[in-house]
Amino acid sequence: MRSASRWAAVAATAALVLALGAGAAMAQGTEITFWVMPNAADVIHVPWLDQKVEEFYRETGIRVRYEVIGWDQAWSRISTALITGEGVDVFQAGTTWNPQFAATGAVAEIDIDKFGGADAFMEANLISTTYKGKHYGVPWFAETRALFYNKDMFAAAGVEPPQTYEELVQVGKRITEVFGEGSAVAIAGTNAWDLIHNWAIILWAYGGDLVDAQARRATFNGPEGVQAMEYYVDLVRLGLASKATAEYNQPQADAAFINGNVAMAFMGPWNIADIEVENPSLNYGVVEPPAGPAGRAAFSGGSNLVILGASPNQAAAEEWIRFLLRHENLVSYTRDLSKMLPAKIDAFNDPYYETGVWQVFRRGLSYATAYPPLGVWGDIENAIVAEFRNILTAYVEGSLERQGGVKAFLNRAAQRVDEALARER
Amino acid sequence: MPPDGSARPGVASKRTGPLGAPPATTAQAQGTAQPQAAFQTRGALYKFRRFLIRTGPAYLFILPAVSAMLLVHYIPMAGGILVAFKDINLFTVSRWYDAPWVGFANFVQGLDPGGFLGGRFWRALWNVSFFGAVTITAGYVIGMAVALLLNREFPGRTLVRGIILLPYITPDSVAYSVWRFIFQARIGLVNMWLMKLGIIDEPVIWLVGSNAIYAVMLAAIWKGWPFAALVLQAGLQTIPRELYESAMIDGASRWQRFRYITLPMLAPVTRILILVSILWNYNAFNQFYVMLGKDPGPAADVPSTLILRETFNTFNFGVGSAMSVVLMGVMLVLTMVYLRALRAAERGQA
Repeated sequence: MRSASRWAAVAATAALVLALGAGAAMAQGTEITFWVMPNAADVIHVPWLDQKVEEFYRETGIRVRYEVIGWDQAWSRISTALITGEGVDVFQAGTTWNPQFAATGAVAEIDIDKFGGADAFMEANLISTTYKGKHYGVPWFAETRALFYNKDMFAAAGVEPPQTYEELVQVGKRITEVFGEGSAVAIAGTNAWDLIHNWAIILWAYGGDLVDAQARRATFNGPEGVQAMEYYVDLVRLGLASKATAEYNQPQADAAFINGNVAMAFMGPWNIADIEVENPSLNYGVVEPPAGPAGRAAFSGGSNLVILGASPNQAAAEEWIRFLLRHENLVSYTRDLSKMLPAKIDAFNDPYYETGVWQVFRRGLSYATAYPPLGVWGDIENAIVAEFRNILTAYVEGSLERQGGVKAFLNRAAQRVDEALARER
Repeated sequence: MPPDGSARPGVASKRTGPLGAPPATTAQAQGTAQPQAAFQTRGALYKFRRFLIRTGPAYLFILPAVSAMLLVHYIPMAGGILVAFKDINLFTVSRWYDAPWVGFANFVQGLDPGGFLGGRFWRALWNVSFFGAVTITAGYVIGMAVALLLNREFPGRTLVRGIILLPYITPDSVAYSVWRFIFQARIGLVNMWLMKLGIIDEPVIWLVGSNAIYAVMLAAIWKGWPFAALVLQAGLQTIPRELYESAMIDGASRWQRFRYITLPMLAPVTRILILVSILWNYNAFNQFYVMLGKDPGPAADVPSTLILRETFNTFNFGVGSAMSVVLMGVMLVLTMVYLRALRAAERGQA
């Protein structure tokens, strides 16, 4: 017994020594760490990455270690890396995150000319990489949300896809007459971190905006903001969306549509991959987001590639980004895996994006808006989303009017946003 | 006492030197006075050496543990307290050691009941106190009942003792995810049964707003009582049978035996159980985060979720640390008050 444990200890020590030796041997070639979000299902994502990493190694001698990190953990992992200056060389960042990371001063400034110049990228995505006029990331892929509808349910109710927000309500009422309460539209509720993206497009279509052009004051609590928020609440109030929506996060809302239970949903191109896996027989179509009194509006999102400022391998990191952005790699990654849209114009001009639903996303992206690139954007988003949640909560509890209606909540959010904007340096 | 010093030996012996040396004749005393003083200083040294030899190794042995604790507990804690006095935010976080000192500004922002964050903080503290009051009490009562039942002899007792631990050993993330599904408005079992039984007409939304904390409470009680049962069972086994036997001979009823033997004998175990439950309660996080998400809303927010959001989502580490320091202070005070109250109660009983 005793000698067995001694042997185990010896074996463990030996293994440790071997591992250390191996580590030292590998450190001789350049090695970089890449954090990527689950942009596609692991079964197709991991083999693709493995293959490309190998290809890159053969080409450059640089070894890339990648790690797939969920969106929910990515923020804290990246924050830790920014503070400690360790752990990663290149990472994927959501477009709305990029300016905040830049404001910390811990990510590398990018010379965009090394990546094909500013004109090579979609404008909204390029803006998202900027902070105070300098670039701190390289656009990777773009996305925008559009209106998905269930063709079978629409046919059964005898309706056509809505062109305006008013029409959406009319169409929704007809659908609920046929399929019952809550069957018209799937929306996210208090558990959705991206709640604001879905509301912003309604706000813009009603002629409002989140903050003024100089980013000094909140403007979403004006009449347009109240109207847009009332519209969102109305979707539940009128029975178009289920009251249970209040507890949904975005994937739950998406699932209600993908399962074929609900006739409409605002979703992104990545959901096409979900449909292909979860319910390939779903007979659906995609149309542009409806128009409001001020026309159509869409949200420009996506992801950028960012280099850690403290990384000792800046050149290798840049090399890897250029490799990922190479026409064939970018098209293959977006078309075959993530179902996002390439943020580089030459890849976006690939004939594939002239076909089918991609034309819709293409048109949407042509007028899509990005949030202003502010360091304090996170505070702003949190303030708005927190009050948005409170509005939905108050509505399902029946206390919305007693608490002063949506206006009171929006005013409170606006006050916090003004405080945040004052902190922007 | 006569001043000439010719006292009776018996009395004089009480007045001799501090070491209580036996009474001596004058001659003897003169002869030994010098060595006696030397013996005293040597005695202190000797004592110190004896102390080193006897207890020194003990200090040596706890040194690794103490240094590890210093390294992983106390130094980071001191760091956290320092951070609470610095303006560490998005713009200063990557060079946080250079961040300006701001005195108590973070505490004001995080604790001012009139401000947004302060309002949320005190509400969260109230929420978690209420949550603890209900879950700890319920957990104790259920745990006690089960422990008493399992203290009887019956076939398969060991198996049952193992089985009741299942909720406790289920990982939090798994158990609370399942409870989240159970409480979901549209597909959840709770609403399904309440509707079938005709108690409600339309689905209740449990996980949003003021209902949410009750949903979490139920799940937390389900998850927490086996631990109380386990600890109390161990305590029950230490109570000598003779006490019950003699009480029965004296004609004590079942309730009297519980009230005057079981409860007092379990007091030390109960004290520790309640203490750790209170401490764990103020750190409650998993149940709220898994069942309700990052932001459970003002009516169900707890300090841990609030601090996590305010600290890590927006890099406002200064304010987050200030709130954490206050939370730690609240827990220390509560622990002290609790222990003192118990000691006073024990003295009152004795």
